[in-house]
Amino acid sequence: MASAEPVVEIHELSKHYGEFVALDKLSLTLNRGSILGFIGPNGAGKTTTIRILVGLSRPTSGYAKIAGADCVNELAKVRRLVGYMPDKFGSYDNMRVREYLDFFGAAFGIPRKERQRRISEVLDLTNAVWMQDRYVESLSHGMQQRVGIARTLLHKPEVLILDEPANGLDPEARIEMRTILLRLAAEGRTLIVTSHILPELSRICDQVAIVAGGRLRAMGTLQEVTRELSQRRTIEIQLLTGDGIQNVAARVRTALESDAEVTVSEAETIIRCRTSANDEKLGDLLRQMITSGDRVGQFREVAGDLEEAFVTAAREAEAERNAQAASRRDVAEVAK
Amino acid sequence: MNGIGVILGRELLALLRSGRVLAILLVISVVASLVVLLKWPTTAIVDLDGARGREVFRWVTYAMLAAAILVVPVFPSTLLVREVRRRTLELLLNSPLPRSSIYFGKLFAMLGFVVLLLSTTLPAMACAYLMGGLSLSSDVLRMYGFMMIVCTQLTVIGLLVGTWCRNTESALRWSYGVTFALTIVPWFPDALFPGGTSPLARGLQVLKLISPIPGLLQMLNQNSLSGTGLMESRDAVFWYLCFAMTFILVGTIVCIRRLSHSLLDQSRSQGYITDDQDSWIQASRRVLYLVDPQRRSRGIPPFINPVMVKEFQCRQFGRMHWLLRLVAGCAVLSLLLTLASARGTESRGVEYTGALIIVLQVSLIVLLTPGLAAGMIAGEIEGGSWNLLRATPLGPARILFGKLVSVILTLALLLCATLPGYAVIMLIKPILQPQVIQVLGCLVASAVLAMLISAAVSSLFRSTAIATTVAYGVLISLFGGTMLVWVNRDAPFGYAMVENTLRLNPMAAALNAMQAEGFTAYNLIPSAWWIAGISSSLLLVLLFVQTLRLTRPD
Repeated sequence: MASAEPVVEIHELSKHYGEFVALDKLSLTLNRGSILGFIGPNGAGKTTTIRILVGLSRPTSGYAKIAGADCVNELAKVRRLVGYMPDKFGSYDNMRVREYLDFFGAAFGIPRKERQRRISEVLDLTNAVWMQDRYVESLSHGMQQRVGIARTLLHKPEVLILDEPANGLDPEARIEMRTILLRLAAEGRTLIVTSHILPELSRICDQVAIVAGGRLRAMGTLQEVTRELSQRRTIEIQLLTGDGIQNVAARVRTALESDAEVTVSEAETIIRCRTSANDEKLGDLLRQMITSGDRVGQFREVAGDLEEAFVTAAREAEAERNAQAASRRDVAEVAK
Repeated sequence: MNGIGVILGRELLALLRSGRVLAILLVISVVASLVVLLKWPTTAIVDLDGARGREVFRWVTYAMLAAAILVVPVFPSTLLVREVRRRTLELLLNSPLPRSSIYFGKLFAMLGFVVLLLSTTLPAMACAYLMGGLSLSSDVLRMYGFMMIVCTQLTVIGLLVGTWCRNTESALRWSYGVTFALTIVPWFPDALFPGGTSPLARGLQVLKLISPIPGLLQMLNQNSLSGTGLMESRDAVFWYLCFAMTFILVGTIVCIRRLSHSLLDQSRSQGYITDDQDSWIQASRRVLYLVDPQRRSRGIPPFINPVMVKEFQCRQFGRMHWLLRLVAGCAVLSLLLTLASARGTESRGVEYTGALIIVLQVSLIVLLTPGLAAGMIAGEIEGGSWNLLRATPLGPARILFGKLVSVILTLALLLCATLPGYAVIMLIKPILQPQVIQVLGCLVASAVLAMLISAAVSSLFRSTAIATTVAYGVLISLFGGTMLVWVNRDAPFGYAMVENTLRLNPMAAALNAMQAEGFTAYNLIPSAWWIAGISSSLLLVLLFVQTLRLTRPD
């Protein structure tokens, strides 16, 4: 369960490669025990942020802290606090899984006896005990991902940063991966997970951050993010009986804005509305229905679609980019 | 034929688009032009006998041969391995193209590159021809024809090796190894000890004919290999061509046969381990193997650099049971060499034995060191594990130390394994003890220099294949190229030039210390040690700076 204690703090983080802005004043805070889904289109700045957090890259300005340790000036501390799994596995030839984990355990200075115990623990946690004597390069992608997670857990890091852990996994392996991540979060670890498989992320994350064009577009719970980015919300009104459902739907249509989409499912006795109405207006609608004697069983907002929010953020970023390019062209023309 | 054309077009286009190929062609072209510039007449005296033209011709030919040995095996050896790893070979084998078309398409594409490579020397060769003293058909065209055969043989070696290896690094290592074994190694013992009449010496004289070098020198009218008196009685060109054509034919048949789906059928290891088996099986395996390769490791001990252990574990032959076999093999070879040559000590002297062991050891160093050290950083960057290493608390000094020690220990084991030979030398002739100590100093210098060159090269590239190629190139140029100058020690090179060049080569210093024939006239120690020491120090600094840069946040 997430606590109110912030463990990851990013403040106005920027990274420039020459004229190219990979990150533009990105700020976010993440509490202990939460799972953050860090999403964005390709080239949005996700990997750059992650690389700064694990000390592989230096920000141009701003700062990032993990459990109070600065990611630039306290690298040694940060490396012990973070478990990092890059999108590329990074295997070594001729090494068995146990030897691979033993090497990284030794690299983190874990004493031999404790290391052997930890290796058994993490292999057990990731359901990978049976592959401990296999050669790493002979494992399938899904197996390697599990070994990768086991490796990140060896030194008991407070924060786990996983870059595309579900990438290339079959559905069964994906379910296993999800179970492992939820188990880790239940143990009180903080997870930052990037993925392009959004339905997968929406199932495990209690926080979502969408970056596009190097800027944070939205952050919060899944519902908050989708509400922030989606122009419309989906409301489901379930009636206790199907009698007069079409009349009720007609009244709902009149109460909402003209372009609201209202559909009726008579079999389910549900009226679905896609509307841009705010909470106040929806409250008025519910009051009106109750006073009219409509037998309302449930009046609820359906969790928004992360994919839609993602696309909206990506489009916003693209529009911004185009506007900037146009303004640069204008300036150049004026200068001519 | 159409199939060959498809493969040929694709491969040749890929080669021509590569910046590396352009760079290689430019370098060879510049070197050939420099040769002409250096030898171009500066006076108005007319050279009627065409000696200068022939000298330029010789030099350009040496440059061509060196380029062929260094460059040609690289591309074909990595070609098939890359196709297997990128899984494009599956697509090719599943297409209606016959296997022979795939093979010949690739072979002809590589030969197209060879034609380009040789044609870069055309302007230089034209200058040599214009200087006079050369016949177009019997000298120039014959030489190009001979070089084409050499390059075809090297290409077939590369393709053949590519069908056995699983990664580009080992493909390069093996193709350079085979090239080295077929071009340089057979020629060396006879060059060192010319004129013998014993069966061993006769055998060496015949063996050297499988190398293209004697034939090439014969074509350059340098009948003496070492310039010290052995007149080549056999037709070296004919014998080499016979060997090369047979090799090309057999290699082609084997390669086409191997170019099948069996190349792609790699079973995955099931992680067989003996810890879970009966104790008698475990005990018997301990006796048989000394170190059971299938035993579960007990973990990296405390106070041992984990990077060093990891480096040993990752190497194909780095595990303890392989190291023991390697050491035993070297020790047996050393004793055999000592035994064989000690029998002829009276006629040839102890120096004969010493020189043979030195050449064997340096050959091993040159062959093995790039394989051990050239991938130490480039391989990690290429495989994606460098970032994982950077994300651990290990500092650059510890990473570098672990990697270097793993190479030093392997090379030390190899060097120590051949020490019995020197012990026998000292037993036969105790007076040689100071010389043997000097030789050992030179060998240590050779090993350290070879390791640091390979490691420094590794830190400069992001691809293991390129790093390994460059490392081999530098080492072969240093240890083999400088010996080419010595081979021509009377003409065209003068004494001072040969001595100064040999000072760069610690192997030459070792041969000089051993008073091997042909090296007694020079004074290479201690200047060769100073040069090796200063070069090694500079390389170590470069390596540390590069490691520091690569481990720092970007």
